[in-house]
Amino acid sequence: MFDGVAQSKPIVIHEPTARRRTLAQWGRAVRQSPATMIGAVLVIGLVLVALAAPLIAPYPPAAQIDLPLLRPGQGYWLGTDEFGRDELSRLVYGARVSLYVGFLSVTIALALGATSGIVAGYYGGHIDNVIMRLMDVLFSLPAIVLAIAITAILGPSLTNALIAIGLVYAPRFARVTRGPTLTVAQLPYIEAARTIGVSNRTIMLRHVLPNISAPLIVQITISLSTAILTEAALSFLGLGTQPPTPSWGLMLSTARQYMLLDAWIAVLPGAAIALAVLGFNLLGDGLRDILDPRIRTL
Amino acid sequence: MHHVIRRLVATIVTLFGVSILIFGLVRLLPGDIATIIAGSEGQLSAEQREAVLREFGLDRSLPVQYGLWIWNMVQGNFGWSFRNGEPVATLLFSRLPLTIELAVLSVALSSVFGLIFGVIASISQRKGVKLGTQVFGLLGLSVPDFWIGVLLIIAASQIFHWLPPLTYATLWKQPLANLQQMVLPVLALSFGLGAVTMRMTRSSMLEVLGEEFVKVGRAKGLSESAILLRYALRNAFIPIVTILGLQMGVLLGGVVIIEQVFGLPGLGWTLLNGVYQRDYPVVQGAVMLFAVGFALVNLLVDIVYTYLDPRIRHV
Repeated sequence: MFDGVAQSKPIVIHEPTARRRTLAQWGRAVRQSPATMIGAVLVIGLVLVALAAPLIAPYPPAAQIDLPLLRPGQGYWLGTDEFGRDELSRLVYGARVSLYVGFLSVTIALALGATSGIVAGYYGGHIDNVIMRLMDVLFSLPAIVLAIAITAILGPSLTNALIAIGLVYAPRFARVTRGPTLTVAQLPYIEAARTIGVSNRTIMLRHVLPNISAPLIVQITISLSTAILTEAALSFLGLGTQPPTPSWGLMLSTARQYMLLDAWIAVLPGAAIALAVLGFNLLGDGLRDILDPRIRTL
Repeated sequence: MHHVIRRLVATIVTLFGVSILIFGLVRLLPGDIATIIAGSEGQLSAEQREAVLREFGLDRSLPVQYGLWIWNMVQGNFGWSFRNGEPVATLLFSRLPLTIELAVLSVALSSVFGLIFGVIASISQRKGVKLGTQVFGLLGLSVPDFWIGVLLIIAASQIFHWLPPLTYATLWKQPLANLQQMVLPVLALSFGLGAVTMRMTRSSMLEVLGEEFVKVGRAKGLSESAILLRYALRNAFIPIVTILGLQMGVLLGGVVIIEQVFGLPGLGWTLLNGVYQRDYPVVQGAVMLFAVGFALVNLLVDIVYTYLDPRIRHV
C-alpha cells in the first residue's frame, strides 16, 4: 500500500498550471498513456456499477436462500455467502458503499485540509505556524491507528468511519495546498488584486484556488484510493460498515471464518477492493503526468 | 548535530500535541464514563458512581487529569485497565516486542527485495523486466495487505495443510517456532512496502545514472558494479530513505490489521482488543505508544539522512 501524499514541491509558477484543455485534448492525453486509460476505465466502470447496482445485481443484497456457501455456478454466478446471500449482488452493492465513503470522506478531508492549507500559505506567519503544527499532530499518528481511535470514540458505523477517514486525511490536503499557495501568493496579480481592494476571501477562492488546482486534483484522486482502502480496513476490523450492509472489507472479514470451506468468498471482496484502489491510483498517476509534468514522483 | 537536536525538540512538541489530542478524544466519549468502566448495563447508584470516578481519578478537573496522566506516563505508569485492573504499561510493553519484530523484519525484507529489483529494473533494457516491475509496483500500491494475509493463509492451508497456530511462540523461548509464525505476516506486510521501495529505487537510480559523475566513473574505467553500488546507489539512497520514512505510518497501520488476521498478540492486537472491550486506558496508552514509535522512526530517518547527505549536516 502506499502513503498517498502527492509529492508537490513548491514550484515557481509563472503561468496557471491547470491550463484549460478542450475535451478532445484531454481524451488525447489520456489515450497516450495506457496506464491512465486502464485507470479511467476501472473508475468509470466502478461508478457505473455503483449507480446501476439495482439493474446489474441479480438479487437484492440481503435476500437469502437456503443454500449457504454455494460454489459459483448457474443462477448464482459467484456463489453464495454464509447466509445464502448472492455473492455477486453483494459485491455490486458493495461498490456503492466504497464510493459513498470514498467521496464523502475525501470531501471532508478536502474541505478541512485545503481550507487550512490555503489560509496558512496565504497569511503566513503565526497563522501558518499554528495551522501547520496542528496538522503535524494529526500527521504524527499512523493513519489507520488514528482512524481506529476516532471510530473507537464515536462508535463503529459507516458514518463515523467516513468522518474518521476525512479527519485523518485532511493534513495531506493542507500540505499539498500550502506550498503552492505560498508561491502563488507572492505573484504580482495577487498583489494587484489586493491593491484594488479585493477581499482576502475572494482572492483565496477566486485567484489562489484555481491556480493550485493541479496538485489538488491529483491529491483528490489518490486520496479516493486511500479512502476506499481505509474504509475496507476499518470495516474489516468491525469498526466501519455494520452488517448487513454489504461492504467489501466486512465481507472479507466475515469470510475468514469460512475461507477453508470456501476460499471464493474471501478471494472476491479483496479483489474488488484491489481493483477499485488500483483504478484510482492509475488515474491519479496519469493525471499527475498530464496536469503537471514537472511534479514526477515514484 | 544541531539539525538533529532541532528535530528532536520538534518531535517532543508534536508528541505533546498528540497526547492532548488523545486525551481530548477519550474525554469526548459519549455516555457515562462510570457506567463504561463498571461495564454494567443497569444504573449505578450515586455513591457507586462517585467511587468509580474517584478510583480512576476522574473526579478531578480536566487539566489536573491531563497533568497527572502525562506525569505518570513519563514515569512509566500508563494507568490501569478498566477490565481487569492490570497495569496498562506492563500489558503494553509485554506486547511491544512482537510488533517491533514484525515491523523490523518487514522493513528488512522489503528493503532487500525492493533495492535488488529496483536496481535491476533501472539497468535492464528488457521489455519484460520493465513491464514486470511496473505491474508489481502498481499491485503493491493497490492490493490491501490484509487480503494478502488472508490469501496466504488459504494458500498455506491448501498446500501445506498449515494453519496459523493458536498460541504465540516468543522469539526468546522458541526462536524457530516464532520465526515460522512470522513468515506469512511478514510476507503480507512486505508486499506493498517492497513495491514502493522498488519503484522509488528504480526512478531514483535512473535519475542518478544520468549524472556527470557516473560518466566520469565510466571514463576512468571503474567496473560497472562499482559505479552502481558505490556511487549511484549511495546517491540514490536519499529519496529512497525519504519514501521509506513516509511509508512507516502505512506499515504500522498494516501491522495492526495483520496482527489481527494472524492472531498475533502484539501492540496492534492489544489496541483493537481495547477498542472492542471499551478499555480506554489501554486504547489511550497503545495509541500513544504508536505515536512515540512513529516519531522515533521519523527521527531515525532524519539521522540517517544527515549521514547519507553531508550537505544537510552543515546547514
